[in-house]
Amino acid sequence: MSELITVKQQGEARCEGLSYQDLLNEESIEVPAYLRENTNPFMGNDDLDVARWVGRDFHEQEKKKLWPKVWQMACREEDIPEVGDHHVYEIVDQSIIVTRTGETEFKAFINSCLHRGRILRDCDGHAEEFVCPFHGATWDINGNFKGIPCKWDFSHLDQKDMSLPQVKIGTWGGFIFINFDENCVPLEDYLSPLPEHFSRFPLHDYYKGAHVERVVNCNWKVGAEAFMESFHTLETHSEILTFTGDANSQYDTFGDHVSRSVTPMGVASPHLPEVTAEETMRDILELSGRMATDSAEGHEMPEGLTARTYVAETNREMFSDIIGEPLDDATQSELEDAILYMLFPNTQVWTGYHGNIVYRFLPNGDDHNSCIFETMILMRYPKGTKRPEPAMKNTLRPDQAFSEAPEIGGLGPVFDQDDSNMAAVQKGMIASKKGAVSLASYQESRIRHLHQTIDKYLNA
Amino acid sequence: MAITDTLIPATDITDNQTVAVTLNGKKILICKANGDFYAVDNQCTHQRAELTGGRIRNCYLACPLHGVRFDLRTGKPIGELTRVPLKTYAIGLADNGNLKIEID
Repeated sequence: MSELITVKQQGEARCEGLSYQDLLNEESIEVPAYLRENTNPFMGNDDLDVARWVGRDFHEQEKKKLWPKVWQMACREEDIPEVGDHHVYEIVDQSIIVTRTGETEFKAFINSCLHRGRILRDCDGHAEEFVCPFHGATWDINGNFKGIPCKWDFSHLDQKDMSLPQVKIGTWGGFIFINFDENCVPLEDYLSPLPEHFSRFPLHDYYKGAHVERVVNCNWKVGAEAFMESFHTLETHSEILTFTGDANSQYDTFGDHVSRSVTPMGVASPHLPEVTAEETMRDILELSGRMATDSAEGHEMPEGLTARTYVAETNREMFSDIIGEPLDDATQSELEDAILYMLFPNTQVWTGYHGNIVYRFLPNGDDHNSCIFETMILMRYPKGTKRPEPAMKNTLRPDQAFSEAPEIGGLGPVFDQDDSNMAAVQKGMIASKKGAVSLASYQESRIRHLHQTIDKYLNA
Repeated sequence: MAITDTLIPATDITDNQTVAVTLNGKKILICKANGDFYAVDNQCTHQRAELTGGRIRNCYLACPLHGVRFDLRTGKPIGELTRVPLKTYAIGLADNGNLKIEID
C-alpha cells in the first residue's frame, strides 16, 4: 500500500455502506497490489474560476504552456501498421506527421514544408516519401531531404539543415505519444504508475474494435471531467443505479499525471437500498455498455449467488473464450468494475480483459468553446490468431447522437446522457454570476487534481 | 446505355489489392477491400494521377502521389486536396466466376 495513505486525505468523509476496499475483501482470488492502493492526498477545497473553462486567456496559456510541454496520445500503433503509414495528429494549431519508419520504429515530424510552409500531408495514409503537393519538395520517411524541382534556383539551401524537424515520440500499451518539448521527462517517468497498474492488461496486444468521434460544444476539460467522477450517475444516468455503486466509488491520485476512479458494478447504488439481486442482474446485463452480453435473456441466476459474482463469473467465461486462455487469476473487480485511469491531460483508459474503453478529449482546433470527444474500444482476439484490422474512425456529425454509432453498443445511450450536460455546462459557466465552481471534496477530487497539475504547467 | 463487361476472375484479386483494366477506352481500377469488390475511375480527381497500386486500408484507397484518400463505397475524398468524388461503377460476379461491371 502506498505511503500516501498515512498523509491527510482529500475529504475525510465517505459514503456509508460497503467501500470498494470492503468489496475487495470478499474476493476469493488474491487481490493484486494496485487495487489495494487507496491514495488521495489533500488538495484543498477552494472554488475554481470558470475562466479555466470559458476564458480565452486560459486557452491561450494552455496553448503556450500546456500542450507544448505534455506527453499526449497521438494514435494507436495499429493505426499505422506498415512502414510509411502515417497519422496526421493535430493539437490546437499544431500539426504533426506520426509515421512508422521501421517494424517497431516511429518518428514524428512537424507537418510543414521547409520550402513555403504548406502542410506536407493533408490526412492519414501511406507514403514512400513525403512530397509537398505545392511545389514538390521531397523528404524520405525518415525526414531526410531528397530535393526540390529546379534545384538550380535553390543553391542557397545547400548549407542549410533541410531535415524535417522532429518532436519526441514514445509508445506504451500500443499507444503512440508525442511531446513537443525537447527537454521533457522520459515518457516512462511521465506514465508512472500506469504501466505497473496495467501489467495484467497487455493493451499493446488488444486491437481497436471501435473508434467514434464527435465535436461537442464545450471546452475539452468539461468533456474530460464528465468521465472523472461517478457522482453524476444519480441524476444523469439514474437507470443504471440498480447495478452501479456510484457513491461507493474510490478516487485516487498518483503523482501529477495519473488519477483513477473505481466504481463497483454489480452492486446497487447506496441511494437505492431496496434493490434485489435479481434486479441488479437483469439491468446490468441489459444496460451496461461493457458486459459481454447485452440481454438478460437466457441468464438464470443460481440461488444464493450475488449479482456481482454471477456477472463476474459470466464475464470470466466469455472473456476467456474470446481470448482463448483461462482468466483464473482475474478478480471479480477486474472482470466487471469500472476501473478508469486518466493520463494527464486528456486521455482516459479503462482496465479490463476485453472491451477496454478509451476516451480522448482534444481541443477542437483553436476554439476553446468546443472539443473533439473520441471513444475507442480495445478488444481481444484469440491467442495465436491474426490480429484483426483496427476499426476506422467513425466521425459523427455534430447533430448526430452517440447512439447512432452501433459499434459502441450500450455506451451510446449513456454518452447521449453525458452529452446532454457537456454543452450545457459550458453555456451555464459562461452565464454564471458566481463565476466559479465548487467541487465535492472527495468524489470530484480528480477534477481538482487535473486543474492543480494544469497550474503546475502554466506556472512553470 | 449501360454496357456490362466481364473482367478478370474474381479469384485473381486479393484483399487490399488493385487491378487496372481498360474498358471502352476508360481506365478503371478494380479493388478488393474487406472481402468486397469495388470499381472506380483509375484517375485521382486531384491531379489525374493513376491510382494503381494505391494503398487500401479498410475501405479507403490512397492516391500514391499525394495521399488523397477515397472511400471506395462512395468515391468521396478525405482531406483538403480535392473535393471531387471519384466515379464508382457497379461491380458483381458473372456466371463464369469473372467480375463484371457496368459502365455508361
